[in-house]
Amino acid sequence: MKLSFSPKLSTFLKPSSVTNLHRSFCSSSISSPPPTSLKPQTPLFLKPPIHSAASSDLQKWHDWAKSLASSVGSTFVDLDNGPDSTLLCREIKWLMEDAIEEESEGMENNQRSIRLRVALEELYMLWKQRVEERRPFQYVVGCEHWRDLVLCVQEGVLIPRPETELIVDLVGDVVLGNEGLREGLWADLGTGSGAIAIGIGRILGTGGRVIATDLSPAAFEVAGFNVQRYGLQDVVELRQGSWLEPLKDMEGKLAGLVSNPPYIPSDDISGLQAEVGRHEPKVALDGGINGMDDLLHICKGAASMLKPGGFFAFETNGEKQCKHLVEYMENDAGGSFCNLKIVPDFAGINRFVTGFHK
Amino acid sequence: MALAQSGWKLSYSNSWVRVVGVSRRSSGAAAKPAIFQASCPPPSPAIAVKIRRKCLSNWRWTQQPPQLLEDKKSDASFFIRCSKYGSSIGAASNTNSGKGYLASTDQELMSQCQMDTFKASGPGGQHRNKRESAVRLKHLPTGLAAQAVEDRSQHMNRASALARLRALIALKVRNTVDLDAYSPPQELLQILPQKSTIRGSDCGPQIGPNNPKFILGMQALLDLIFAVEGSVSEAAKFLGLSTGALSRLILSNDSLRLAVNELRFSKGMKPLK
Ligand SMILES: C[S@@+](CC[C@H](N)C(=O)[O-])C[C@H]1O[C@@H](n2cnc3c(N)ncnc32)[C@H](O)[C@@H]1O
Repeated sequence: MKLSFSPKLSTFLKPSSVTNLHRSFCSSSISSPPPTSLKPQTPLFLKPPIHSAASSDLQKWHDWAKSLASSVGSTFVDLDNGPDSTLLCREIKWLMEDAIEEESEGMENNQRSIRLRVALEELYMLWKQRVEERRPFQYVVGCEHWRDLVLCVQEGVLIPRPETELIVDLVGDVVLGNEGLREGLWADLGTGSGAIAIGIGRILGTGGRVIATDLSPAAFEVAGFNVQRYGLQDVVELRQGSWLEPLKDMEGKLAGLVSNPPYIPSDDISGLQAEVGRHEPKVALDGGINGMDDLLHICKGAASMLKPGGFFAFETNGEKQCKHLVEYMENDAGGSFCNLKIVPDFAGINRFVTGFHK
Repeated sequence: MALAQSGWKLSYSNSWVRVVGVSRRSSGAAAKPAIFQASCPPPSPAIAVKIRRKCLSNWRWTQQPPQLLEDKKSDASFFIRCSKYGSSIGAASNTNSGKGYLASTDQELMSQCQMDTFKASGPGGQHRNKRESAVRLKHLPTGLAAQAVEDRSQHMNRASALARLRALIALKVRNTVDLDAYSPPQELLQILPQKSTIRGSDCGPQIGPNNPKFILGMQALLDLIFAVEGSVSEAAKFLGLSTGALSRLILSNDSLRLAVNELRFSKGMKPLK
């Protein structure tokens, strides 16, 4: 990859006052300590290949990692619908892809040696964390492959989900035949790693812009890193703050508004898969009693932010929330929206609500 | 050590899909429905091919049925399958001929497909971190199906599956060729070596097997080779090439070579090596 990775975030990020926090908790994770530093960490695949190991030693690591993965069997599946050995083995392959410099084989003391982006001891540690602590694979390697992007992620920032990829496609569909939308101003609320904002930023026309907001300082930093890595500083602008708060100057100006806000009902948080519940930030997941606090909050503001003909797409927890949202927009939102649609994700679960401002 | 991620296995069943009654040369063809016929050459061995990945940004798909498949492969191989139910389906018009499918954009082709993903148990979305991003595409008009599991994102798996589907269509869907009035289509001329005597200078540089456009030419080449019943020397005459030069072209792509050899085997001919 030939993208730069030493962003000077301060040069293009405008701080914005964080006012009106409507959320009383701010815990970043349930059981692991909060991230020690907000500075974006360099993901494994971008680290310089300054380590090396004999291929036989790497083979030993590989055998060990595989046996650790096999020992899991279906334990995690039964426990909390976590990963099984098959999936873990696939992750080992991906871990090696990221850790090993391609075409790096050399000879040292008559031994084939392989250049690594991390010391072999650390590779042992990382895989142990993955299996024993259930640390999400994406935090272990520091990135997630999402659409055609490789996004950096770290503790404190939600790992973008495959379902969410579809939001970019939905936007792609509406901007295709509509120049006003294609060249317009978009907003991604609660941008996390910046996934949606970057995805949209790459399909808009030359005049299109995206403003991405997030309350979380960790997300704000990491999103900035990702925006920079894809060279979108002039397209995606980050603003820190709560939901529509940082967009006060944009009332009635948005061509599009998208969001994947926290939508898991509070009661479900404790039963989540360990990778999610123990390691991902609660502020990115917990949507209040019925999971709809943030969705409804954003919907309430959407009408005043969008210009006539503006498009919106929101991700939800499923059928129930979709229906609830559509009902709300039809009845309570005073008829300001039209063309409301519920769109299923690739697994057939009704996942998104889309529509237009009249 | 599994460092190489380039090679992947491809296996397919032994049913050929043949488009009959669609002669590109005959003027009335547009109104004629294409008919698919199955013939059964002997089973082919698993073969490895390479397809350049393409990045796709826009997709449209049909809603998935509840029936989904499970991936129990621990390694990162994937399979292209030619499903049984695809062997005798009628297509509506000439634009839906085998050539038409490959000429369609990714979006158009995708709209003819049903996409299955691996069973999502539970509510998915924010609840879940399982990186099961496997995709299976079933091309409804032909019944051909391709899947991809080894990529790290859903989107890329979809792109890979679609690229494989294109290769599979090229290999499996045959267009009838009118040998009496044969002149090779442009996409075939483009994959021929420069020394072909019928290849005009306007064809540009030769398109190699790693170029996604190779697939279109490959389909046309297979159409011709099927029309001459597997005879490389016959086909070479139509293309202004020596038999040796055409053999080399066929051998430059594993899936093409295997398709030709499968046909030759069924005709009792020696395989190309
Ligand atoms: C489910 S995550 C989605 C992240 C990203 N958009 C994605 O799809 O991967 C929800 C995001 O909303 C952010 N968030 C939570 N409360 C917020 C608030 N009051 N204002 C702005 N963002 C908030 C979280 O920090 C988190 O990044």
